[in-house]
Amino acid sequence: MQFDVAFALSTVPTILGAIGMTLLVAAVSCVGASAVGFGLEVVRRSGGLGGLFVRFLIDFIRATPVLVWLYCLYFILPFYGIRLGALATGIIGLSLYYSGYLAEVFKAGIDAIPNGQGEAARALGLGRIDMTIFVIAPQMLRNIAAPMGNYFVSILKATPYLAVLAVPEMLGRAFDIASETYRYAEPLTVAGLIFLGLALLISLAIKRLEVRLMGPTTR
Amino acid sequence: MAHSDDSPAVQITSLNKWYGAFHVLQEVNLTIPSGSRVVICGPSGSGKSTLIRCLNGLEAYQQGTVTLGTVPLGDNARETALARRQTGMVFQSFNLFPHLTVLSNCTLALRRVLSMPRKEAESLARHFLEKVRIPEQADKYPAQLSGGQQQRVAIARALCMNPRLMLFDEPTSALDPEMVKEVLDVMTGLAHEGMTMICVTHEMGFAREVADQVVFMDQGSIVEQASPMTFFTTPSHPRAQSFLNTLLH
Repeated sequence: MQFDVAFALSTVPTILGAIGMTLLVAAVSCVGASAVGFGLEVVRRSGGLGGLFVRFLIDFIRATPVLVWLYCLYFILPFYGIRLGALATGIIGLSLYYSGYLAEVFKAGIDAIPNGQGEAARALGLGRIDMTIFVIAPQMLRNIAAPMGNYFVSILKATPYLAVLAVPEMLGRAFDIASETYRYAEPLTVAGLIFLGLALLISLAIKRLEVRLMGPTTR
Repeated sequence: MAHSDDSPAVQITSLNKWYGAFHVLQEVNLTIPSGSRVVICGPSGSGKSTLIRCLNGLEAYQQGTVTLGTVPLGDNARETALARRQTGMVFQSFNLFPHLTVLSNCTLALRRVLSMPRKEAESLARHFLEKVRIPEQADKYPAQLSGGQQQRVAIARALCMNPRLMLFDEPTSALDPEMVKEVLDVMTGLAHEGMTMICVTHEMGFAREVADQVVFMDQGSIVEQASPMTFFTTPSHPRAQSFLNTLLH
């Protein structure tokens, strides 16, 4: 069976039709994972019992496959009366899963900030919350733009997992075409190329952001 | 600028601090009247930076009391915050916020801590930037300034909060020699306006000209406390004598 370019092109509109769903899931999950991950890191830094629990949670998240999380949220939670839609489950699952990784990235970004920054903020009388928002977080983002972008690309590439929940995203569409036509190479190649293009776009955007965040560093 | 008040600006009584087994501050007693300028000097590791960092709660201590004005520093977070608000600190490494412009460095605490409206905060910040003689740098970022300019911004940033007491922790030690003077000039100006100042510094010329008390520390204790005149001409403690000798040669 040869690769049929004309057939491949004919699958583009169908697969591309799901790009909105893929982008929606990816974007919301990136925001969710960043927010949860930052929260986890703040709690971990505050120490105490909460900190210990979060430490365990982050290790636990990172040591389990994302598919297990999606299955648990979708098929097991309903036994306990919590019934989420497929899309919500997918977004929550990806957000929670990647929050563990992003918490580690945030940790590295915060560790790289000199102690003097926190001391100066405290000496000026800033409280913990103001210090975190106005002094620590912006400098952390500067330090981690690149690794954070990598995880955003990972989240994008993890959206096809939602196919197991029947969320109509791009790879799911490609498989639908494949099972109807018994031709796998063309739709999967098309889906792969679209993912490649999106990932490149994200990388480019992150590079731009990095330059802007660095601001003027020399005289 | 000086706040009139009968109580001393700082009262340190029987202060003791340990880092693990290391007794870094040993029975430190010190009274600093309002409006006075105290220079703390001594060899490295003598505890002088640790001492002034105890005065605004950046370092915790195990024994003794520190009272700023009438407010005791302590376990009470609110009182500590209040005391800290009356204290400005200038660090050896400037510690400006690199992601904020010079102006925003100065206005951040005004807006977030004192809830001052933006316009008012900015005009106050510009006033103090003028005072440290760099009003034209307001919209630049710290990395675009020289070390001396950065340290002057740090002084302006601290002054914005209208402190009763200024702490300087080796403010010129990280500077190129030709920039030391511009920072010392600003500090001298502050002293002449009556600001209560505690400076950890090795700038003996500054101590001689500006200080009304020189405190010499060694191995965690205050071993000599005298007027600059007495300290520089007839130091009584042998360690102070040898310290001065190494500085002069």
